[in-house]
Amino acid sequence: MERYLILEDGTVIRGLGFGYEGKSYGEIVFNTSMTGYIESITDPSYKNQILIFASPTIGNYPVWKSRIESNGPQVSGIVTRDAHAFLKSGSEWSEFNSFLSENGVPGIDLVDTRFLVRKIRENGVMRAYISSSPDIPDEFPDPMAEDVVSKVTCRESYEIFNNHRKNILFIDVGTKRSLVREISAIANVFVVPHNYKFEATDYRYDAIFISNGPGDPSHESVDGVVKFLSKKAGEIPIYGVCLGHQLIALALGGRTSKMKFGHRGSNHAVTDGKKVIITSHNHGYAVDRESLENTGLEVVQWDINDDTVEMIRHQNLPVLSAQYHPEASPGPHEAREFFIRMKKEMEGN
Amino acid sequence: MPLDQSIKTVLVIGSGPVVIGQAAEFDYAGSQACLSLREEGIRVVLLNSNPATIQTDHEIADRIYIEPILPETVERIVARENIDALLPTMGGQTALNLAVKLRKNGFFQRNKVRVIGTSVDSIETAEDRQAFHSLMLKIGEPVAPSARLVRETFEKEIARLDIFPLIVRTSFSLGGSGGRILKTREELLNLSHEFFRIYPEESLEIEKSLEGLKEMEYEVIRDNAGNCITICNMENLDPMGVHTGESIVVTPSQTLSDMEYHLLRDSAIKVISALDIKGACNIQFALEPDSGVYYIVEVNPRTSRSSALASKASGYPIARTSSKIAAGYNLTEIKNPITGNTSAAYEPSLDYVTVKIPRWPFDKFEVDRKIGVQMKSIGEVMGIGRTFEEAFLKAIASLDTPESKKLRIKANDETLRELIRASSDLRIYAIIEALVRNWPPEEVARISGYAPYFVYKLKNIADLLAGLKAGTIPENLRELKVMGTPDSIISAFTGIPEREMVLHRLGLGIIPVYKAIDTCSGEFFAETQYMYSTYDRESEFPGKKTSKATVIIMGSGPNRISQGLEFDFGAVKTSLYLRRAGYRTVMVNSNPETVSTDFDVSDGLYFEPLTLEHISNIIKRESPCKIILQFSGQTGQNMAGDLQEIFGEDLFLGTSPASIDAIEDRKKFAETLRESGVKQPEFVTVSKLQEAIEAIERSNLPVIVRSSFIIGGRAMDIINDRDELYSRVASLLEERPGYPVLLSRYVENAMEVDVDFISDGSDAVLCGVSVHIEEAGTHSGDATMIMGPDVPDEWLRQQIRNLVAMLTRKYSLKGFSNLQLAVKEKEIFVIELNSRASRSLPFVCKATGEDWIGAGISAMINGHIQGGEVLPKNYFVKIPVFPFNRFIDLDVILGPEMKSTGEGMTAGKTIDEALIKALSMMNIKMVKSGTALISVSDQDKTGIIRICRFLQASGYKIVATPGTRRHLMENGIDADIIYKIEDMREPRIDWFIETAKPDLIINTPNTKSGAIKDGHEIRRLAIRKNIPMITNMRLAEAMINSIKSEVNLDFLEIKEYW
Repeated sequence: MERYLILEDGTVIRGLGFGYEGKSYGEIVFNTSMTGYIESITDPSYKNQILIFASPTIGNYPVWKSRIESNGPQVSGIVTRDAHAFLKSGSEWSEFNSFLSENGVPGIDLVDTRFLVRKIRENGVMRAYISSSPDIPDEFPDPMAEDVVSKVTCRESYEIFNNHRKNILFIDVGTKRSLVREISAIANVFVVPHNYKFEATDYRYDAIFISNGPGDPSHESVDGVVKFLSKKAGEIPIYGVCLGHQLIALALGGRTSKMKFGHRGSNHAVTDGKKVIITSHNHGYAVDRESLENTGLEVVQWDINDDTVEMIRHQNLPVLSAQYHPEASPGPHEAREFFIRMKKEMEGN
Repeated sequence: MPLDQSIKTVLVIGSGPVVIGQAAEFDYAGSQACLSLREEGIRVVLLNSNPATIQTDHEIADRIYIEPILPETVERIVARENIDALLPTMGGQTALNLAVKLRKNGFFQRNKVRVIGTSVDSIETAEDRQAFHSLMLKIGEPVAPSARLVRETFEKEIARLDIFPLIVRTSFSLGGSGGRILKTREELLNLSHEFFRIYPEESLEIEKSLEGLKEMEYEVIRDNAGNCITICNMENLDPMGVHTGESIVVTPSQTLSDMEYHLLRDSAIKVISALDIKGACNIQFALEPDSGVYYIVEVNPRTSRSSALASKASGYPIARTSSKIAAGYNLTEIKNPITGNTSAAYEPSLDYVTVKIPRWPFDKFEVDRKIGVQMKSIGEVMGIGRTFEEAFLKAIASLDTPESKKLRIKANDETLRELIRASSDLRIYAIIEALVRNWPPEEVARISGYAPYFVYKLKNIADLLAGLKAGTIPENLRELKVMGTPDSIISAFTGIPEREMVLHRLGLGIIPVYKAIDTCSGEFFAETQYMYSTYDRESEFPGKKTSKATVIIMGSGPNRISQGLEFDFGAVKTSLYLRRAGYRTVMVNSNPETVSTDFDVSDGLYFEPLTLEHISNIIKRESPCKIILQFSGQTGQNMAGDLQEIFGEDLFLGTSPASIDAIEDRKKFAETLRESGVKQPEFVTVSKLQEAIEAIERSNLPVIVRSSFIIGGRAMDIINDRDELYSRVASLLEERPGYPVLLSRYVENAMEVDVDFISDGSDAVLCGVSVHIEEAGTHSGDATMIMGPDVPDEWLRQQIRNLVAMLTRKYSLKGFSNLQLAVKEKEIFVIELNSRASRSLPFVCKATGEDWIGAGISAMINGHIQGGEVLPKNYFVKIPVFPFNRFIDLDVILGPEMKSTGEGMTAGKTIDEALIKALSMMNIKMVKSGTALISVSDQDKTGIIRICRFLQASGYKIVATPGTRRHLMENGIDADIIYKIEDMREPRIDWFIETAKPDLIINTPNTKSGAIKDGHEIRRLAIRKNIPMITNMRLAEAMINSIKSEVNLDFLEIKEYW
């Protein structure tokens, strides 16, 4: 079944369709991780994005349900070189395929994904369609102009009580399940959606945590969160990861900007000037280093190759956040240190 | 931490001669290490006895000692050179063992020399299974349950054991030698009884066998600050039970989930940190799929074969980075040279798949093809593709074995099933065959223990191949190419000649694109042109023209018997020379162990199979001005004709394909020689019946018939009757088609000479003349060779000059050639001429101190030769090294088929000095009051007297077999008797070798049929017991003479011998 990938610069690529059979649209980005395809396609941070797997062989192992990071696939579509090929000659294209088609995610296979990676590296992220027709549509609206966080935030608040010493207000702006798992392993959590009436809660919390999530941190849909954070800063500890990290920076007077093609992969080295750890990344926006001047925030870790801000903390206030994913899944586990540090800080030891 | 300024001079230890389990990969690692240190302004002194390496060239190290790798040598070097530090982690097990020995004998206390990189402590902990296991238990990492047996308590211990099946090992293994899997208590009891009878003081280590689990490896680098990264992981297709060096290995892992990948990665980092490794290392795991249960198998605390593979598979220069860490740097301070603009503190991301397949010598050795925990392979190939299928099929195409060319095998279902079940080199072909026969993939996966994923991938290949029809060019050619199907395989399945397939495909415009290996899946810009082909949309570096003319250099492919890293030396030197001369060089090779596949050796590296298809594609893309085949061994010679047909004669640098053909065709060559009045050998090698008939008609009786394998104890026969000769040769050829048989006149006693020369089509210059110690008839790759100022004498040298001049004009030889001669009583016979670089050329370069590679290339490019002959000023010996300890069923006696895996080199101011050093390399040492076991053939009985007299005078007790003993006694030499096996009397020779462990065995083959088997038994035992043995009378005499000379040994920088 022929299928086409149509980029906003007019490039049309023919491939083999799989998964959902309908048309799809999104911002096209690439990920260089060699494992973790299930975790990636179910990561809400990819909302409104078409994901290119730089790793050519995808779907080699089963769709482990325990590795799903949200209520299903979140990507708008996937682009692969050699997807779940082992089923081609054997049984039907089954599990992976139906997982995608049942959840409305089209895939396009046999694509020169490296060509796309190089193109995006040179030209930056683009907008793209996956379609059964090679015709180039007239419109390529900005997928990030939409309120993407609303699509992935939790519908209702919920509590996870594990008899920890501390309670955290967990603001879900599109969290991965593994992040909830990690945070609830160090504290009791009350998970709330991004549009929650934060001031009205009677949940007594000792700290705030803001999760990962999709889209532009300066989008109006998350203005409420930013306002809440800037009010709370200095009152109680604030922690965050990914989009949460960016929202914290905004709340404290910093700025964010869109990166040329972002960081998406499991091999990014982050340093504090002495040590280096390999971390899992998925971000298309970053905190501007210069904008942190006079905000009291300082950069404590950065990407070793392009100096992107990867962790900030406040000089006086209990504020700490990471751009990368300490919860991994997919990716290396070294950064789990972040949660230990959080726990220690919260508990004051 | 920046560069450690206290390190001014480093002694780097090389790995010595190529042996199974330790091959060209250490030339790669060692060379990169030397260059990496020199980049920092550190003076590098190198000790390596292997002349074939690029490492032992002054382009690589400042000071080079081509001397035996022994503690004494190190002491002497340290006394002469101002050494601050020793780097022992770049020369395989040889270098590690040396470092451990040096520490034991107090070297580091006596000298102000320290070990840089991983410490000896860490090395010892990683190498000693017990110490390693306790460390793992301490940090909570799982290892297979194990036990250590000692003589006093082993019976009780075994009765209690509950870890069957188990594996028995000895410490300090090299390629896993000594490992054996035992399934029952009884087997273990028997083995223990035998072991403790012979080694009562030793202990025996046993461990639960993890056979059947998934085998995984991680390549890890850790720096001085404790930063630890994994370069890549490797998944073995063959489950545990097959040595990783024997396994088909895919990179990156294909069937591991993110959870499993990082479970093992976490463990790797934890273990490597606990061991305090500083630099590169490799860790192996056994993993139970989908359960999260794993065991740590072992850690190699050094660069290894896997490092070389990981380096080439990922593009990350592991040895280079590791050496920088040894020099004091941390990962954060080192740049990734493949991108030039990113940090070395980074884990490579691969957007392609690589498949490594070992290259076994079963095309040369008629031995048991089973593979297991011991290594038998001598080299490997790597295929790179965008899919597993493509990478796998490229690896297959690179192998160049009879099986890999056909892919399918003939066997009934029952045999097929057994071939899939038991591990051997044939398993992969049996799997494909079964899939072509439509066996269910799940069943094939179950029988083989392969992950179903891989079997399904192979099924994709099998399905496509099953559609090919004899005599028809397939209509779905593009589909076949996208899958990675080599033209050669399409050719094998359809019967259409490969050249036609290539031409047809090129005509249709079905050509691949080329993609770069950049360590980052395209995320960063990288200038390095390290490429592989695939059938996809975008080609990288397309038409990137420079003003420079391009020369393609064809490498020699996988290391194999008769085609090893000697050729890589030439290919690398050629590239460096041509780049200096202003050319753009393009290297093509498929061997991940080599220096030539380092991306910085050439301007463009194509990691591709050396087949007509890929060379043609690259020529199409690169439009080179020239291509050089002379360093690709026989591979290029065989391809020259087809390449010429496609691209014309002008493309070739060096001797023309037409001349190559006229030389390679034995019949044409013989005629030319006859016409020119040059004598032919009185011995001839035949591999076809027609050749044999002609040879028999020409031969003077009696004739010795030799084959390189034993059939019923008759590897060698003396035959007086022409009809008997015919039937004997015919049956040998029939039983083992393709294996050459050597016919030679009896009572041959000729001297064999190897001549390396360069020429420009009209004039020639001798580079070196190496004289064999063994009489003519031993394969030139297996002979012990001498070069010296008066070896050979001037008369012979002049004869050779005349002969070479004549041949040069006759064939318009250009570039490198090698001529083999037999000389007897002033008569010269031409055995063979090769119009390519030879195995002995690196030895010749290192003995004369001349850059013959540069001179030869210059002669080819410029059309005329510059400079002249250079005589060696001292004496040099090239010593072959054999894999007999790996193949107990392979006879030690040398013949027309090459058996050695590599060579060492020694030098001396006299022949004796060089020979004594050679003896120490062969582990032959004179001991006080030793025992020598002598059993020689009738023709050697006169010669042995002098030797035994000397041995006796030196305090040796002589023990001899009845015939030899009688002869010795008659000549006044006392000897104890020992009976041959066939004598059925006590004391028997096998018992004697087992228990009395003589210090030296001299055993030469009896040419009478039947006796050979007895000799075979003796030699096999000697190898098993690691007893020094000499099997050639001339070699024995030369050795004894050198010992008698009692010269003082000097260990000198190689230049001091020039």
